[in-house]
Amino acid sequence: MKLIRVALIFLVGLAPAAAQAPLRIAAAADLTPVLPPILAEFQKATGIHAEATFQASATLVTQIQNGAPFDIFFAANVAYPQRLVDAGLAEESVPVVYAKGTLVLWTRKDSGMGAPSLALLRSSALKRLAIANPDRAPYGKAAVSALQSLGLYRSLKPRLVTAENIAQAAEFADSANADAGLISLTSAKTAQMTAAGSYFVMPRDSYPPLEQAAVVLKHAAAPEAAQKFLDFVLSAPVQAQLAQSGLAPAK
Amino acid sequence: MDWQALILTLKLAAITTAILLAIAVPLAALLVLGRARWLAALEAVTALPLVLPPTVLGFFLLVLLGPRTAFGRAIVALLGHPLAFSFSGLVVGSVIYSLPFAVQPVVAGFAAVNPALVDAARLLGASTPRLVWTVLAPLARRSLATAAVLSFLHTVGEFGVVLMLGGDIPGATRTLSIALYDQVEGFDYAAATHTALVLLGMSLAALAVLYASGVARGAGPESARRGARHG
Repeated sequence: MKLIRVALIFLVGLAPAAAQAPLRIAAAADLTPVLPPILAEFQKATGIHAEATFQASATLVTQIQNGAPFDIFFAANVAYPQRLVDAGLAEESVPVVYAKGTLVLWTRKDSGMGAPSLALLRSSALKRLAIANPDRAPYGKAAVSALQSLGLYRSLKPRLVTAENIAQAAEFADSANADAGLISLTSAKTAQMTAAGSYFVMPRDSYPPLEQAAVVLKHAAAPEAAQKFLDFVLSAPVQAQLAQSGLAPAK
Repeated sequence: MDWQALILTLKLAAITTAILLAIAVPLAALLVLGRARWLAALEAVTALPLVLPPTVLGFFLLVLLGPRTAFGRAIVALLGHPLAFSFSGLVVGSVIYSLPFAVQPVVAGFAAVNPALVDAARLLGASTPRLVWTVLAPLARRSLATAAVLSFLHTVGEFGVVLMLGGDIPGATRTLSIALYDQVEGFDYAAATHTALVLLGMSLAALAVLYASGVARGAGPESARRGARHG
């Protein structure tokens, strides 16, 4: 009994801290290297503290549909936030496009594969190619479309290894467990991956454009802060910053 | 129903269980019969996977045993491919991950054998392997069965390790728990329900058989003291 009482007192003691909840952001995995500095600048500009959770877009949709306490959702496509609009879970009637993603082929410099190119994808030396799960990660879907339109999907299919999300696909290639990866330009442009390898931009017309869209969520605990953050991301300086990190401007 | 994933999962669990029993019997004998102080450290190490997050194991196998380390390159030279994204990699991961579920029941079973019988066998000149094979193992057979069933089920239920180093390859690394995850994330709740029920039914049935056979009820001579707690 005494233990329970102590535990209760402890929990009650924690409650005030929980009341000052931060802005909670659900973000597509390609934003993993991009968002943290933007969050810091947002806090500096507005005093609002924000925390981000990175996952494959579809995984986040499942979590939000089942009551995950996020305020705003930044996806790697338009279809997944549209799903939340259709389910009546979003404030917007149309998802707001905030950037365009780019798919790149990345290899380590010491992989022995040579510089990444379309020829590399035809090479038999390529034993394992990492992609994100095409069923839940928009970049994974884009990777499959690109391989299909280049006529390479059938020959590469047995050699594909599927990562949980696009950040894990980059990790598979960077840890050399996969020979190469079809990853996001945002991952390829990080300091770590720039030092370890090089990338080749996949032909733009080989996959449908990776328009990335966001929605403010209906049950947001901090809807004003969420809207403020979305406006912040759409502002000219942040859009320029996104372009630096590998996300082309929305307009 | 993803039959390929079901068959792969059963195959993985069966191979893992066989390897684990082969490891657990000598290891448990060493832990129970040995007197050295460092054996306590060894026992602690064998219990580690009980409390370590599977992600720790996944990280070790993926990065520290990956092709960027000398050890990882040795594995590539030996197997022709890295541990990640392969069935053999999952076997290695599962053996480590389920180790305590095999070792602990066997240790409990061996420890519960009447010490007088062990002494008698020794006095009659039995070597340690013979003692284990003809006295301890037969008397602790119910604990061995417990170890086998728990290792099997724990491997079937493995998720974190497979997610981190599996690569979700059908027929090689897409186990039933991963297939279920894919179905949930793909919004295919009907298929997910189906898969979840198969996993639930399989585990419940195996545990029911185990408990019905009296392992955890003190029916066996060895389970009276420690077996009941561990079984």
